[in-house]
Formats: sequence, structure tokens, C-alpha cells
Amino acid sequence: MNSPLSTSRRSFLYGLGATLGTAAFNALLNDEAKSAEVNGPLAPRAPHNAPRAKNCIFLFLEGGPSHIDTFDPKPKLARLHGERFTRNDKFASAMASGTRYYVQSPFKFRRAGESGLPMNEEFEHLAGVADELCLYHGLQAESINHPTACYHINTGNRFGGDPAIGSWVTYGLGSPNQDLPGFMVLPEAAYPQGGAANWSNGFLPAFYQGTALRSTGSPILDLLPPEGTTRDVQRGNLDLLSALNRQHQQKHPHHDQLAARMESYELAYRMQAKVPDLLDLSREDAGTLARYGVGEKMTDEFGRKCLLARRLVERGVRFVQVFSGGWDSHDYIERSHRARIRSIDRPVAALLGDLRQRGMLDDTLVVMCGEFGRSPDNGLRGGGMAYGRDHNAKAMFAVLAGGGVKAGAEVGATDEIGAAAVEQVRPIKDFHVTLLHLLGLNDNKLTYFHAGRYKQLSQTGGELIEELIG
Amino acid sequence: MIDPVRNSANEMYDVRRTSGSRVMRHLLVVLFWLAAAWGGNVQAEEKAETEAAQKQQAERHFTLNVLPLLKSKCFACHGEKADDVKGELNMLSRAGLLEGGESGEAALVPGKPDEGLLMAAVRWDGIEMPPKENDRLTETQIKVLQKWIADGAPWPDAAAQRRHLADEWSRSETNDGVIVPTSGGLADEWTYRRYQVDDLWAYRPITRPDAPWSALPDDAARHPIDAFLQDRLNQAGLKPAPPADRAVLLRRLTYDLTGLPPTPKQTEAFLADDSPRAYENLIDRLLESPRYGEQWARHWLDVTRYGDTSGFSRDDPRPNAWRYRDYVIRAFNDDKPFDRFIAEQIAGDELDENDPELLIAAGYLRMGPWEHTGMSVAAVTRQQYLDDATNALGETFLGQVLRCAKCHDHKFDPLPTRDYYRLMASLAPVQLAERSVPFLPQENTTGFDGRRERFQRLLDEAQQAQAAIGRKEQLAQRKWLEDRGVEIGQGGVAATVRKLPQDERPPRFYGLDYTDLGVQKVLRKRIEYLQQMLLTFEPYALSVYSGPYRQYSSNKAMMPMPEKMTGEVETVSILMGGSIESPGEPVTPGVLSAAAYPLRDLHQDGWGELPESTTGRRLELARWIASEQNPFTARVIVNRIWQHHFGGRGIVATPNNFGVTGKRPTHPALLDFLAAWFMDNGWSIKKLHRLILTSAAYQRSGDHADMAALREADPTNELLAVYPPRRLTAEEIRDSMLLLSGELDLTMGGPGVFPEINREVALQPIHVMGSVAPAWQPSPTPGERNRRSIYVYRQRNRSYPLLEVFNRPGSETSCERRDETTVTPQAFALLNSQNTYDRALAAAARIQQQAKPKSDQIDAAFRLALGRAPTENERKLCLDHYEQMLAHHREQKPKPISPPTEVLRNMVEEMTGESFEWTEPLDIYAGGTYVADLKPWAVEPETRALAEVCLVLMNSNEFVYVY
Repeated sequence: MNSPLSTSRRSFLYGLGATLGTAAFNALLNDEAKSAEVNGPLAPRAPHNAPRAKNCIFLFLEGGPSHIDTFDPKPKLARLHGERFTRNDKFASAMASGTRYYVQSPFKFRRAGESGLPMNEEFEHLAGVADELCLYHGLQAESINHPTACYHINTGNRFGGDPAIGSWVTYGLGSPNQDLPGFMVLPEAAYPQGGAANWSNGFLPAFYQGTALRSTGSPILDLLPPEGTTRDVQRGNLDLLSALNRQHQQKHPHHDQLAARMESYELAYRMQAKVPDLLDLSREDAGTLARYGVGEKMTDEFGRKCLLARRLVERGVRFVQVFSGGWDSHDYIERSHRARIRSIDRPVAALLGDLRQRGMLDDTLVVMCGEFGRSPDNGLRGGGMAYGRDHNAKAMFAVLAGGGVKAGAEVGATDEIGAAAVEQVRPIKDFHVTLLHLLGLNDNKLTYFHAGRYKQLSQTGGELIEELIG
Repeated sequence: MIDPVRNSANEMYDVRRTSGSRVMRHLLVVLFWLAAAWGGNVQAEEKAETEAAQKQQAERHFTLNVLPLLKSKCFACHGEKADDVKGELNMLSRAGLLEGGESGEAALVPGKPDEGLLMAAVRWDGIEMPPKENDRLTETQIKVLQKWIADGAPWPDAAAQRRHLADEWSRSETNDGVIVPTSGGLADEWTYRRYQVDDLWAYRPITRPDAPWSALPDDAARHPIDAFLQDRLNQAGLKPAPPADRAVLLRRLTYDLTGLPPTPKQTEAFLADDSPRAYENLIDRLLESPRYGEQWARHWLDVTRYGDTSGFSRDDPRPNAWRYRDYVIRAFNDDKPFDRFIAEQIAGDELDENDPELLIAAGYLRMGPWEHTGMSVAAVTRQQYLDDATNALGETFLGQVLRCAKCHDHKFDPLPTRDYYRLMASLAPVQLAERSVPFLPQENTTGFDGRRERFQRLLDEAQQAQAAIGRKEQLAQRKWLEDRGVEIGQGGVAATVRKLPQDERPPRFYGLDYTDLGVQKVLRKRIEYLQQMLLTFEPYALSVYSGPYRQYSSNKAMMPMPEKMTGEVETVSILMGGSIESPGEPVTPGVLSAAAYPLRDLHQDGWGELPESTTGRRLELARWIASEQNPFTARVIVNRIWQHHFGGRGIVATPNNFGVTGKRPTHPALLDFLAAWFMDNGWSIKKLHRLILTSAAYQRSGDHADMAALREADPTNELLAVYPPRRLTAEEIRDSMLLLSGELDLTMGGPGVFPEINREVALQPIHVMGSVAPAWQPSPTPGERNRRSIYVYRQRNRSYPLLEVFNRPGSETSCERRDETTVTPQAFALLNSQNTYDRALAAAARIQQQAKPKSDQIDAAFRLALGRAPTENERKLCLDHYEQMLAHHREQKPKPISPPTEVLRNMVEEMTGESFEWTEPLDIYAGGTYVADLKPWAVEPETRALAEVCLVLMNSNEFVYVY
């Protein structure tokens, strides 16, 4: 909708202002106008309830990390190893049907910290911060296909096109820093299955879209002009643009969008200076870099992202999502999961320790999970013995730490072979409700009217998982 | 007469099928439509002022209004689950409410609606119940409870309740609203619930209102649209804006009809044309332009979600999808009657399966994202398809959000969940297939041979590389077998291995290292991709047929028609709670029963049942949708057309949702007038354009003498006293830049083309189930690259940054209206990207060829970009800037950059967790056929300096807004 009359004066005071055209959003702005000094779509907004954490770092392990080989040991599988059975089920995929074999975990486990949380011995560093963690075994997904399951845990809707959890959170809380996006994403060079729709703003206004800081090349597309365009040239172009736009504006004094669009160019110019500085890890001391595993082959990539996540949160970015790929170990799980675990072990431990040491952990909710778990059986495709596991939506793990989380606790349980959750069994929507709650948001109030109904992250409402809250 | 006393919810379905009940419900139908058509208002029965009567009234109020409210909003947590009563408040009885819950306070005090926790809770005052925003009570609902408590909160027994219901359900219309006859809800309360007549506006027959001519001033031209609009302006005491400046009008009209600006020549000609028919002639000329079909097809493809790939994880190519896109363009250019357009898309294959155009048209039913892999459940995939097709049909043609009725009877609209599944059953025979359809003379197949050769060559190379890895494995296996004394039998190594018991075989992938494993997987996917792309040049159509369920797999290069059809068409059942694992009662094919009456006339019976035959039910469905009696169809399409002529807002602001939760029409009589006029004029969209475009409203200025007062009186400009400005769409921005630079190639149709996009995005790896999607390589020649945006290959999982930041919608869900947000990445894309800079450079070079003096060059740039000459001041500003830039560019000569000829893919092999590398050849850049656009290092500093000015003009507000 674009009416010359509809935009309130407020919307062009700040750079991100634009036509929003929905009653719900305007209402939100109006509510805020009473208290907030900063206006605009990313202005900080009051939470619905007392927040336990102000920011969130969501470490997403894409591909379906195995709960059985990480935090949920199943000794019984050792006894069943190699035993054969047949599955024929209308609701099983081709991959999970037919002749199946139970497979044991190739890893050794330990109990870590004073709380004695179980974990794969490969988690050498994470074990050192075990008492900060809350392990949750009751979560269940609803899809066993990667893209739909990724969409589900990231957006609440299996079919994509809905706003990501980070979009909902920034829509609900705004962001303390008006010169950076409120929701930033640190993907791998290859985007996850389902692509950028995993951090889409969906039907929410575009200000709440996850801004991906690309791991190679220009961190934000076209952040800088083509080579040879100096900052002076750019300033000159912007000055001419501004002069022409001002004359145009005099002819159309009632068209509010003109000012918003002019300001967006100036904000772009400021961001060009700020973003490279933000990404410059050379300002961190050597000890910090080493703790995150920066510079070591195995941990460099994820370590940099974890460190960057901390820097972003420190500068007032509300929600940061970090991606780690390659967890889809259908074969050779011993080698592939070992490599994956080692790639995140040191960085995650360093992140938690760093946040604790800087006094930020109590204000930051840290979440780590995948889109589903893995099966206790496989089809031993090809007949070799380099076994792995297939997908499993009925059992998975989630790890939480930081603000409001019941640290050192193990919540829920899967059955004795890890085939399905059996205690504290909850769907993803309940998990979402819980994460929002910790951030001070009520899923039932965090709504947006779209396509005929008030939409919410949980889709139809969910229940708080109180056991996860400390 | 129906006897609701015996008609408990459990018996409901049986009872409904008896002839008696049918007669009763048909009576209701007649009453409903008579009442609706005449707008009659049945007077409420006079009340007897006795105490007994008051008691009866209060009990009746409880039965009809209070109890259903409590049931739907409260009982689930407060009583229905005996072992889990929230807050220890049991609301199933009056006693429970009087006693209250854990707080000890009574939930209600009879006669005192201001006391008790219940009223506080529903007002969200202190406690908030029901807790969800979606379930929250409306003011009206709160008043229902309030009145009940004020009247003493009576709670009559079951027999009394049945008596009140029987009485109530026998009246079609009361002061509380009307009962809408439908095929029936899951519960009686839903079936017999009442609707406000105004809420049902879209369900009522399309009327033929006379234009309120008297609203127009005597000296005004008599145009029906203006009469309707003026009527409301008069009521608001507002005067419309004067006519727009002719140059403004020319640009507005040209963009609206063609998506492109007028050229300087066209501007000159129109401004010089003083014939009284100049404007009408302009409309005719633009409607006849092939550019018209391209622009309006794009609107339609937003709604139908066009894509050249299938989405989800594999995002497989749909090599023949372009034929549907071109069909839509032809349909608009040929002014295909819209009712025919509907029938062809929904049931073209059933209309005539020997007509190629119709099989292509049925590609409409293939437009949503779809895939089925070894990791998905076949039954789920199928259900997803049927849900998607059903929802899409509702939004696209009927303006009805059917999705809500998947899990329950619709909360607001007269759409029982049964109707959702009946509609789905009418699509149950739809099977996906690539059908053999010869190319038509009007289809663009130029260059097919060369492109086919290219893909064939890449396929050969990939297959050779794959074979080499296979040979390596076989050699190792052979050695392994020989070492163990196993004789290599007939069929060679592979066959020998297969015959061995599991534990005597060589280990899986024996002899291959992790790079081999990774590359093998990459090549397998690449081979599949190339095989699919090769089908672009084969005469197939992305289409459907009617038949029994078939097995699907997206790994296959294509799904041809099956050789023979076996089995039965699936039976569709109501899925309880929308869950595929909880099928309930089976349904037969049918249409939306609340709007079924055109079909009832045909069939004399039922609720709009469709034939149950495999073939023919879909055609009958299409006929219902395209019927003049269908209350939705014509309204929905005229609203969409209107929307694109008035700044993106329709008479109904929610074009996909004409239900209670959508926006009401701002001018309901006008909407009906247009819908009826449209049907009377042969469902001709071009005639509708002419009608709208010749109105004074369309030709108004965007400015008004007293804007402040106007803003006060009509803050959203819904009365259209002024013409609303709009921003160019993403495609219009790109196409306009290409037109300005002289690079736009107006070739029509054919498979998707590949412009240069941001190179980082072009080469960015995209996961495809353990492998990587091929890089986005540009088409080799500028002509192919610089076609109009509608012909750009639409790869769902790869972003086209310039188009995406300017709000091109995703292709997952139907887009009824594009957003127009202003965000900083737009500035990055339009000011900083190499692609816009290249357009500016081409524009500068073109201008310098035409005009020599610097100030003439500035003038030419303004005319091309903005359709006007610069002012004195603007010319000076630009010349000064040019000189500054010239000084800079004389100093700084850009270094040539060669495009990459290959891209290194660094991946983690999923089976081993080891990283490996694979080099993807970029054969377009490497192969010598690539012709670059004009580049900065190839031109003089003067051209680069002028390009900076052009770049600024392309970024200016005047360039991107239409007034």
C-alpha cells in the first residue's frame, strides 16, 4: 500500500523508516512512543514479562546431529549391535524402511562437571563448562527431511516463508543499536538446506530479516562500491543525489517516503565504515583468539564465528544465529561426528567462558541444537561396516546455557535405545515458547496479523517447558 | 422441519442425509438468498413482558450465546480434562463457577457482572483469559457474558437447552444474524451459527448497482467509476484533485501497462498530440504493445508462484516451466477471456488433451514448490501437494483463505472443514507428469541446438569423470577379491561382489579416498542436474493428468505419462485436526457449499457436488469457479486489476482474502458494478483496463490544494481524492535501467535467461543434499542477459540480490500484494553494485554517441532517466559533478578484471566429515563464447565521469517513484 497520506511523521525520522501499512505495526509503534526516545522499527521495546536474558546466540548444527553420539549415551545399543529387523510403515520414508540393523555408538562417554552431565569424551573443552549447561532430551521434531525440519526449528513452520525466530525476537524487542541490524546470521559459505528462508522475515516487515554476514567475500553484499570508487567519489555522488532529491522533494512535499529513502543512503554510508571494524578480529588479544581455536585448522571457522557472535551481542545486536554444517552422518559416523564435534568443542566452550568472564552470560541465552536427531538403527546400505545413522524426528538433543536456564540439569529422557523421547516430551512449538519466554516475550502476545489471522511463532500456541528454567 | 432435539452432534451426519433435513436446509438456502438479495430485515418477535418470558430469554441467551462461548474458549482447560483442571476452576457447571478456583474468589456473582474473576479475566484485567491473542474475547463476546451474569446467570438443564436450540435453528434470520446453509460443520453449534449479513458480502450474489450519476457535478464527464467514487467523496465533503500533468500521466500509464517508462520520443509525441483522443489512443497503443502482456503476466505469476526450480532441498530444475510463463504472457496479450483463462489453467488437460496450449496451461497446478526424496514420506508428500493445490486455488481464484479450514471448521467464514476436503477431493485425481507436447510456432525455441550441445558436453564430461572413479573402485575391489582367492565371475567385479554374503564383501567404497567419495556424490547430482536441464529443449510440458495415484520420485530427470494406469483414485477423508494420521469421515468431491448455488441449479440437489469420475470432476470444478454465478471469481479479478492501477491497493485491500478476516471493500457497490460489467463484457481484461484508465480518478494529480485537510479527513486516501504514488517494482527498476542504457533486448519468450548477478552470489555454494548446486553462470551474450526481468531464470534457492532487496516476493506462497519497504541494502544494491554501475556506464557511452556538448549530454541523461529536461540548477549541479569526477577518473585508470574460469568448491564430505575440494568449471567464461558488457577499463575517463552522473540519476527518488 502506498498512500501519500498514510505515513506518520515518525516513520521518516529514522533511517530504517518506511511504509509499513499494517495496523498491528503502527499500534506497536504507538505503544512505544510513550516511553522510548528512539523511534523506528528497530527501537527497543518493552518485553511482555521480566526477561531472564536480553540477547540470544543460537548455535545451529545443521544436518541432524546425533543425540546418541553426543549427549545421550545408550549402552543398550552395544548389546543390540548388528541385530536385524524389518520396518514397513506407511509413515516411514524410503530411507527408514525395509531391513534395518541396530548400531552402537563408536564413542566413549563421560560424566562431566559437578552436575555429572553425560557427554561424548570428544567434548574435551565443553566438559570444562558442563555446569553451565542444561541438556534437554525431550524435544521432538515433526519432519525427517532436512529443509522442512530446518524451516520448522528456525521459523516454526515446516514449509518456509514464515518469520525466523530471530525476526520475531527483534520484532518484539527491537534492538539497542540502531546502526546495525537487530538479527544477524553467520552462515557457512554454503547456506543451509532451505537457504536464506531459514532467516527470512516472512510476513514481518523487511527490517526484521536476518542479515547474513557472509563468511567469505564482502560480509554484506555490495557493502562497498566497485574498486576504484574512493570514499570521496562516493561522497560526491551522495551529495549530488541528495541535492537532486531535495529539489524533487519540494515538488512532492506530502510524499513521506522520499525522506525515508534519502536517509537510507546516509545510513548505508555510515555502515560502510562500521561493519569492517566490527569484523576485525585483530583487536582481540592473542589469548582470546587461541581459546576460541582461531588459527587452528579444525576450529578456525566455527571459532571465528563464535567470537564474532560475542562481539555482535556486545554491540547490541539482539539475536545472532551461527551455523555449523555437515552433521548428516549416514555413514562413517565415528569419523564424521568426531570431526564435527572437535570443530565446535573448543569454540563453544570458549564462548561460554568468555561470556561468563565478561559478565554477559546471565544476559545472554545460548542455544545449541540441530533440526532433528538420529536413529539407533540404519540400513547398512551397501553392506559395509562403516556405519552411521539415519534421521530421527522423535528424539534429538538441545543444549541451553546462560540467562534463565537451569544450569547443570538434565531434563527429559529418550527411551533405552534413543529411538524416541519418553520423558518431558515436547514439540518444537513448546521449545519456541520457552525461548521467547526467557527473552521476556509471550508467544501469545507476539503476534502479527497476516493472511486472515494473528500469526505467532508457535503457529497455534504452545506451552512453556518450565523444567528448563532455572 | 428438522428436530434438533434428537439431532445431537453424534447423529448429525446421518440426520443431514435424510431427505427431510435436506428439504429444511434448502428452505434455509432460499430464505437466505432471498433475504440477502432483498436486504430484508426480519423483525424480532415482540417480547411478552412477563417474568416468565424474561427468564426464558435469559435461558435462551445462555443456550445460544453463552454456552457455546464457554465451550470454545474455556472448557478445554477448565473442566473437560477431569484430571487437569487449570487453576482448580471447573466451569462445566454453574456451581463450579460460583465456587471459583484456587484463589477462593467466586468466578461470578449472579446479577453482579462487575464482580467475580471471570469478567476480569476475559477483559484481561489483572488476569488474562483465554491467554492467547487469537482466542481473546471480542467486545461483543464480553458483553454476552456480562448480560448473562446481569440476568442472574441462569444455567438451564439439557432438555430446556434442546428446546431453545430447536426454536432457534428453525429461523433463518434473526436480529443476531443469518444462518448460512453449508454442507455442515463438525458440530451443530458451527452449522447453525449466525453471521452478520455485512460479513458475508463476498458470499452474496454479485449485484448490478446503477452508477450514482447524481453524485457527479453537472459539468463532469459521465464515467461510472467517477460517479461511485464521487458519491463517497461528497459524503466526506471532499473535493478531488485536479487532473495530473500530461507528462506525469504518460509516465504513470506507460509504467502501469508495460512496466517500462516512455521513451523521450514517445514523450515528445504525446505532449505534442493535441487531438481530443490522444489519451485514448495512447491507452490503445500500450494495450496492443507486447510489453503489456509481460507486465501483467508478472502480476499473475506473483499470485501463482512461478519458479523455474522446485524448491526445498534439491531445488531441481523444472526445465519446461517457461512454457507456462509464456502461455500467461500470450493470454494477457491476446486478451483471453478470463473465464476461459481459469478453465485452461485448472483443467486444460481435461478440456482437450490434444491441444498443446491447454496442456501447458495446466502447468498452473505445478507451480508450488514440490519434491519427494528418499528422506520424505510418500503419503506426507502427497498430502502436502493436495493441501498446497487446494489452498492455492482458494487464494488465487476465490479470494478465500482455505488453510484455516484444514484443521477445523472456519472460525469466521462459512467454510466447514468438510468443504476444504471436498474441494481437495475434486483435485484428488491430479497426477504430476511431464507430458509430451510439441513446441508451438509462437514459442521461442531459437538457439536450442547450441544450448543443447553445451549441456550435452558438460554431461559427457561429468559422466567420464564419474566413470573414472568407478574404475578406480573396481580395480581396488578386484585386487581385494584376488587377494582372498575369490574368482571373478560372469558380469565382472560388481556382479561378483553382489553375489557374496554381506560379511565377505569388500568394505563399502573400498579403494576410494574421501575426496573420491565427495566428488562422486557431487558428480552424481551434477549428472542428474544436466540431464534435467537437457530436457529444456525437448517438447515436454510441465503438466498434469487425471488418474489414480502414481509413485513419485524427484531424483528422476522427469516423470513421463505412465504407460498404463492402475488402481483407484485416492479417497479423501476429513483429517481430524488436520493430521494425516487421523483420517475421519470420507468425503466426495464438491465445491464451497455456502456459494454452491450455481451448481445446485445444474444438479438440482446437494451442496455443489462434483462428479466422482476420475476425469471430469476437475473440469466441473473449473466451470463452477468460472461461472457468472460464482460470487467470488469476478470480484476477485477486477479487484486485482484495480489494485495495480491505484498504487498497489485494491478496493479490497486483501486481494487473496475476501473473508471476514480480510479487509472490507472501500466501495462495495463499485466492486460489484465492475464485476458485473466485466462479465457482461466477455470477461475481457483489456476492456476493463480501458474502463478504469478513462476514469477521471485514474487521471488525477497526486497533489491537492488542501493536502492537510485531506489527510485529516481521509488519512489512508481510500477515497482516492488524489492519485496514490508508488515505488517501481524490482523488475521495473531493472528493466528501466536497461532501457535507459540502451541495452534492453525485447526478445520474447523461451527458457529462462541468466543475467550477470552479484558475482559472490553467483558463485556461492548452495547445498543440495550432500552436494553443491551448479554456479549461476551468465548467458554468454549481452542480448540474452539483458532481456526483461520476467524472462530471468527463477531459481528458488538462489537469491537475485537486486530484485530481492526491492521486495520481489519469495515463490513459496502466493503474493497478493508486494511490500514497498525502504531498507539500506537497497542503497547498497543500487549504488554500489557492479551491475548497476555497468548500466550507468552503458548509458553514458550511449549518450556520448548521441550528444557532444557536455550540457547536451546532461540533458539527454535526464530525458532518458526521468523523461524531462533538467532545470537550470540541476544542469549546473550535474556539470560541476561531472567535472569533479572527470578529474578523479583521469587520475585513476581502472585495472581490467577477467572473469573466473572455474570455482573451487571446498566441502565437507558428509560420510567421513573430512573436507575435500572440487573444482567446478565455469565453461561460459572459459569457453570463449562469453561477450562482456561495456567495462570501465574499456572506456575513456569522460565516459566514466558521465556514468557517475547516470548512476546518481538511477538512484534518485524521481527515478524510482511513479506519480
